[in-house]
Amino acid sequence: MIRVAAVGDIHLAPDSRGLLRPAWETLGDCADMLLLAGDLTRHGTVEEAEVVADEIKGLPVPVVAVLGNHDYHSDLQDEVAGLLERAGATVLEGEGTVLDVGGTKVGIAGTKGFGGGFAGRSAGEFGEPEMRSFVRYSRRCAADLARSLLDLREQGCEVLIALMHFSPVPDTLAGEPPEIYPFLGTYLLAEAVDEAEADLAVHGHAHMGTEHGMTAGGVKVRNVAQPVIGHAFALYHVPVGVRIDVPAVG
Amino acid sequence: MKEPEASEYRIARLRERLADEEISELGVQIDMRGGYVHLWGTVSTTACRSEILRIAETELGGLPVRADLTVACATAPERPEELE
Repeated sequence: MIRVAAVGDIHLAPDSRGLLRPAWETLGDCADMLLLAGDLTRHGTVEEAEVVADEIKGLPVPVVAVLGNHDYHSDLQDEVAGLLERAGATVLEGEGTVLDVGGTKVGIAGTKGFGGGFAGRSAGEFGEPEMRSFVRYSRRCAADLARSLLDLREQGCEVLIALMHFSPVPDTLAGEPPEIYPFLGTYLLAEAVDEAEADLAVHGHAHMGTEHGMTAGGVKVRNVAQPVIGHAFALYHVPVGVRIDVPAVG
Repeated sequence: MKEPEASEYRIARLRERLADEEISELGVQIDMRGGYVHLWGTVSTTACRSEILRIAETELGGLPVRADLTVACATAPERPEELE
């Protein structure tokens, strides 16, 4: 069993310095990793990213993060990612990383992802250049997620986790105004998660949403936005190897 | 004489201001209920909540406000969820 701690949308700034650290310092007792699902800062400034870096520095578990739309707001996403990396986190965008948890290879693929909406009510790559580039960008994020998950599978990972900021399913958006769903996620991310048969998909972004959802392919989705989970992190116990069904011989 | 600005536009502008400027807060819902501007949702800190209420007061220009903003909890969870 793999113990996954996850939270997103912590929106740290200098006035919230030290807020999450006491709870995160207990992670060594209950978790094998901490996943950060984006929107770690309020405006994506270096000053705010330094607060996040101080919160994660020297934690007793590996930290794997994706950025969110807020972390892009000042056009300093590379600097923000760099600061988190220097504090010891692995920041993913369209790539994966492998953690060894007691001899079990756990693969985590991450992307910020983007919007576009859900099957039957989604934006198409058509019309104005702005619209086409919106949809093209969202497709690229999802394609990168699919490719990195499949790469991790090929590398022999027994547990696969998809980490993103935007939502792959509408289930976890329940509570948000339906009119804004296309800005909260896209089914393209769910398609990527299903293609690779991931074990768990974790996202943030939807503060008014709900925690639990599932893709069409049966992958569990968890919205870990801090206002949704109501804690410094949520904790999931992911079983190892349940998908391999070996019939008894004899 | 110029009519007072419609509450819809004031609310829309408040929403934009909360999202774009000082506090980048997208998680606050704002709607009209029984003649009041109703602000609700979860924000990260108490300072953030006070700032939202201050901005609402200046932006809504006298419209009556009711706020039900909670501050996100920063403690560890009591138990894990067992995924099967």
